Amino acid sequence: MKKLLVIIRREYLGRLRTKGFVISSVLGPLLMIGFTVVPGLLISMQTGEATKVAVVDLTGKMYEGVRESILTNRDGEGGEDGGRKNKPPPTAAAPDREAQMSQVSKALGAHYEVEQVSPGGRPLEEIKGELNTRVRKGELGVYVVLPEKILEEGRAEYYGRNVSDPITTSQLRHSLNRAVVEQRLREANIDQNRVRELSKEIELETTKVSEGGLERDTGGGFGVAMFVGLFIYMAILMYGQLILSSVVEEKTTRVAEVLFSSVKPFHLMLGKLLGVSLVAITQYVIWAVAFGAFALYGVGMLASRGMDVPLPSLPLSFAVYALLFFVLGFLMYATIYMLVAAMVTTEKEAGQMALPVIFLSVVSIYLAFPVIRNPNSSFAFWVSIAPFFSPITMLVRIVTEQPPFWQIALSLGVGLASVGLLVWVAARIYRVGMLMYGKSASLPEVVRWLRQT
Amino acid sequence: MSENGVTLALDRVSKKFDEFVAVDELSLEVRAGRIFGLIGPNGAGKTTTIRMIVNILAPDTGRIELFGEQMSERLQDRIGYLPEERGLYKKMRVGDQLRYFGELKGLTAREADTRLDRWLERLKLSEWKNHRTDELSKGMQQKIQFITTVMHDPDLLILDEVFSGLDPVNAELMKDVLLELKAERRTIIFSTHMMSQAEQLCDDICLINHSRKVLEGSLREVKSGFGRRAVALRVEGGDGVLADKQLVTSVKSYGDYVEVVLAERADAQELLRRLVESGAHVTRFEQVEPSLHDIFLQQVGEGA
Repeated sequence: MKKLLVIIRREYLGRLRTKGFVISSVLGPLLMIGFTVVPGLLISMQTGEATKVAVVDLTGKMYEGVRESILTNRDGEGGEDGGRKNKPPPTAAAPDREAQMSQVSKALGAHYEVEQVSPGGRPLEEIKGELNTRVRKGELGVYVVLPEKILEEGRAEYYGRNVSDPITTSQLRHSLNRAVVEQRLREANIDQNRVRELSKEIELETTKVSEGGLERDTGGGFGVAMFVGLFIYMAILMYGQLILSSVVEEKTTRVAEVLFSSVKPFHLMLGKLLGVSLVAITQYVIWAVAFGAFALYGVGMLASRGMDVPLPSLPLSFAVYALLFFVLGFLMYATIYMLVAAMVTTEKEAGQMALPVIFLSVVSIYLAFPVIRNPNSSFAFWVSIAPFFSPITMLVRIVTEQPPFWQIALSLGVGLASVGLLVWVAARIYRVGMLMYGKSASLPEVVRWLRQT
Repeated sequence: MSENGVTLALDRVSKKFDEFVAVDELSLEVRAGRIFGLIGPNGAGKTTTIRMIVNILAPDTGRIELFGEQMSERLQDRIGYLPEERGLYKKMRVGDQLRYFGELKGLTAREADTRLDRWLERLKLSEWKNHRTDELSKGMQQKIQFITTVMHDPDLLILDEVFSGLDPVNAELMKDVLLELKAERRTIIFSTHMMSQAEQLCDDICLINHSRKVLEGSLREVKSGFGRRAVALRVEGGDGVLADKQLVTSVKSYGDYVEVVLAERADAQELLRRLVESGAHVTRFEQVEPSLHDIFLQQVGEGA
């Protein structure tokens, strides 16, 4: 027992001190934050400078309204832009994309300078030609042409170097839209405040009905389940590979033979399994804490700048389940890696032999999709009980539908039993395989090892 | 040590791998405080025998007793094993590595630290303590491996090809250490292909071939069992006597002397008398023991 602890300690502390661990511990959360924040930052960077907008108003009466609308740029607030969403709830599952875009740009200081180009009797083509030159020179960002019949036909023209920039186009569309609607209402003598009141949109509050009662949920659970699933998958790949190479190393350097003369092979195997698992859990916790800190401070900070990162609300029990299934899934796959490593003689062969294992874990990621769509089906039930798939699929079910507790318990039980069985099988293969040099074991050989006492 | 001075006893031990018999009904006794040479050609079953002694493999039949007790996990801590293929973690620091192996043999970390310092000093490796193992030369790694074998003060040492990779200076150093350990009444099982080394160090010998024991006994007994059949001779004349097939089977020339192998029933004294009678001038006449090398070749050759 004391020796088992010695082995676990070496496997654990030895790996904790490696550069790889430190790097992935730091890099993991950075990447995580990067993927959520950086795209927004990048898009908005181009609008760091004020975009110059020229307005060619052929109606002669729209410019002031449009200018006001572009500069205030508080889209959606008025509600006059008929049919548009009023105030998107900040944590909506799929927040209105344009609204989000403008939020991003607003948060990061996207702003405009507006100038009027009065037609002054000149033909439109001539004005356009002049403006095009200015756009090409970069003096002007974009220009819009408001035709005489804009109020009736509802069309305006947008010219710019970059028409695929989603932020600018959508914002200008919003602003023009609002100015036009306001103008129409004014000409029809309708009280705008009244319209605003009457056209207020409804908000859909989503509430999840689960075993534990009613919970407010914003739908972000999906993302989290997939996130945790992918995380398990990543951990399996990373640490499985680690187990694979360190077992093969012990075999090829013949350390195993020296060790076996001091400790039981089973203890050695178990020590490695537990030691590496602890490393993985440590990393998991580091990442979870980093994510938690980001959720508390980072999101708060971004929100204070007007940027909204949807965070799902998840019960604490989910964190517990996530940890349990993570450990379970990790042990399942790690044991298989252990078993594979004991059978082969080189790391290259180990890589080939490990392919089916990787395939198995990829399949369970894919299985998560049908389960998300229909978490209550019998398909979802069986898949979430089956070993190898359960760690990811059951988590998805827990997030989406909260299955009855007995199902979760059954899944955990089956998982534990399979881990036990796998460890038993692996121990027998390990004991013999680690002393076999020269060639990889064939399947019949392995079966024979299993029968040996 | 057990009462009768027997450290290790194997009693009709057999081990099969599938259909292949690796060790067949092997019995042997290793006495305390002696160096025991386990010799034999490749594939004779030496490694399997050793693996059973260190409890890595369990025998199919037969009994292994160590220090008068049935082999068990607990007894493993009293054995030090240096396998033929070295096994060290390449990327671990020398000091950490030794501490780890020491702890796996039941030492506390502190005990391990004191002892590994002492041994590193003894084998002139102290300055390498904080280096990664793969920065060391083969010979140095070999010495590190040796420290893992002895640092827990085992009563029984099993050394498989302990001199391989060592230069003459280090080989001499190692030999001194072994003799010191022997003087401390530790038992050493020494496995090698190098008969000259076995001859220099071993008190007792066991030769196995084709999974079976061929020869066993003290070096002295084994050699005398092969009789004094050869004579080293420096002589002028007497060619007729040496050509007599009744007396001499073969004559091998070694520079300034010849080695004469006597015929089946011939006597060395008879040879000397006949040579003197024939008027030959004898300047050297010495009955020589067969070397372990010769015995090995003869035995293994016969078996093959």
